[in-house]
Amino acid sequence: MDNAIETTDLTKCFGSLTAVNKLNLKVEKNTIHGFLGPNGAGKTTTIKMIVGLLRPNSGSVKVLGKEVHVDDADSRLNIGYMSELPKFPKHLKGTELLDIYGRMYGMAQQERAAQIPKLIELVGLKGRENDLIGKYSKGMQQRIGIAQALLSNPELVVLDEPSIGLDPVGMVEVRELVKTISKEGMTVFLSSHLLFEVEQLCDHVTIVNTGSIVASDRLENISHQLGPAMIHVELVDLSATVIAAVKKLPFVSGTWRTGSTLMVQVNTYSDIRAQVSQAVTGAGGVIVGMSQKNANLEDIFIQLVTKDQGGKPQ
Amino acid sequence: MTTMKNPSRPRPSWFRRFWAIVRYEMLWNIRKKKFIGIILAVFVIATLVLLVPVIGSRTSGVPITKNPDYAITFGGNAFVFLLLAIGTAMNSFSSEFESGTIVPLVSKPVSRTMIFLGKLFGAFVLLLISYLVLYGYITVASVAVYGSQNNLQFMPLIVIGSLLSTFIWVGLLFAVGSISKNTIVTVIVAISLFLALLIAGPIVTVYSGPSQSLNYLPGTGATGTLIVGQNATSINAGTDNVGTNLVNYALYPSANVSFYKTNLTAITVNETALPNGGLLYTESTGSIATISVAVGCAYTAAFLAVAWIAFKRSQILE
Repeated sequence: MDNAIETTDLTKCFGSLTAVNKLNLKVEKNTIHGFLGPNGAGKTTTIKMIVGLLRPNSGSVKVLGKEVHVDDADSRLNIGYMSELPKFPKHLKGTELLDIYGRMYGMAQQERAAQIPKLIELVGLKGRENDLIGKYSKGMQQRIGIAQALLSNPELVVLDEPSIGLDPVGMVEVRELVKTISKEGMTVFLSSHLLFEVEQLCDHVTIVNTGSIVASDRLENISHQLGPAMIHVELVDLSATVIAAVKKLPFVSGTWRTGSTLMVQVNTYSDIRAQVSQAVTGAGGVIVGMSQKNANLEDIFIQLVTKDQGGKPQ
Repeated sequence: MTTMKNPSRPRPSWFRRFWAIVRYEMLWNIRKKKFIGIILAVFVIATLVLLVPVIGSRTSGVPITKNPDYAITFGGNAFVFLLLAIGTAMNSFSSEFESGTIVPLVSKPVSRTMIFLGKLFGAFVLLLISYLVLYGYITVASVAVYGSQNNLQFMPLIVIGSLLSTFIWVGLLFAVGSISKNTIVTVIVAISLFLALLIAGPIVTVYSGPSQSLNYLPGTGATGTLIVGQNATSINAGTDNVGTNLVNYALYPSANVSFYKTNLTAITVNETALPNGGLLYTESTGSIATISVAVGCAYTAAFLAVAWIAFKRSQILE
């Protein structure tokens, strides 16, 4: 399948810090691809190299089959990009901003006249489009940011944390918007710290940590890596004895702790909460809550990032 | 969403994208409070200069002496050049980095060279309009105050000269702004250099005379005397006076300007002018005009080259 984005050994260093380390990323066309990672994992740096804002130290980026270079303006013709918390010139009105950016894409006057009002309506800025951007709230700046990313009907839309700064209604609207544009054939590559958002939107996910990919696949394939279910056991106090007792159970393939909660990965589809409960109480643990659920993106994320940071399953 | 998936967008013309940036830059400038304030300040200064003799005449009752050359000799105020350059160019680059607006701008299909040239051309157009209006105003006011004016056909030379004099500072502001990415640093560096040159020129003149080397620095340059018939006029040969130098050449192409050494031992308390310490050298009006234009162009080109390289190499980190 054709790739919308393909990086080869992409590397970016800032002094002695390697922000992105030989990253080999593939984003298939016509997909919504989530890009996840903890703070400082290299997500934004990677995105900036993909859209041609930063020069890599080594490696290459291909977007829609063409190499991206900082100095090659034409390589950005079919990319729509919104940065994290985008800032726009305060002295321009919303429509003026879109009009000027449209001219930069070479959009004809008629095309701009048709596209701009549609986008203004789409992102919920109707009635405020002729206000100066300096008078826009953070959420409105985010909305105009999304509009300018979609302005030229690009083949690839890159959104860096599109929901930051939006109220809950706005977040839902953005998710709906992303689904809509994807249906119309645009490839969407988005980074987000909202795991439920990525889970709802994306069919593919790449998780990065310390500049390297720790997982990249279809969402369901990544879920399978964790087995059929996870049991969350909330205890008054989680001791090493309790963890050791749970690990001895034959159907347990791994455990992770977050605070006083023990996450137990099992390799059976049977309900084995009773056995886990017995093991915990037998080791002196006091259970205050227990649930069994299929692994969600949060579980996957925590497992993969914890593993990558040298933390082994407990 | 009513848009349709776009096939690969055709490559727009270079000029179309360049003009979009010019438009962006000009809208940025004409809505900038600092730019509007500086333009108003320049007009207030010009008005005050024109009004002083009127007020003096009204209070003393002595009629204003007619001066048919007032408008053509008005051009050449270093402070006005600096002010207009600051108003137009002080945050063309630095503010884009400071506010983060550089990120969406450079993510568009426009090259950094295109952005640089667009901003430069935007500054040129704004300064051209500013000077046309300013010198138009001065010409009309000169006629009203000093009577009919001579040689107005040479006013375009004053406008061109003023633009070049201003563009030395525009180039410096672009260069410092692109390197420092900080508007305050940019303005401080420009004003400091302006003051340093303003102070250094007279000191050099007092101790070593109106040295030719002064003409190779931005500023007023060496001061000499242009004698035409019975009239002796003091003129400055530096880059702040490109317009006047061009007009002098146009009016007196075969005349020479004499530069005299200062006689320090002959200075007395009551002297209003520095005593003449002997002729140092003479130079034709053509040579003075050529050198001031060439030096102005060289500094402008050098500063702009530094600015362009710094902007092209800048990393977008925020």
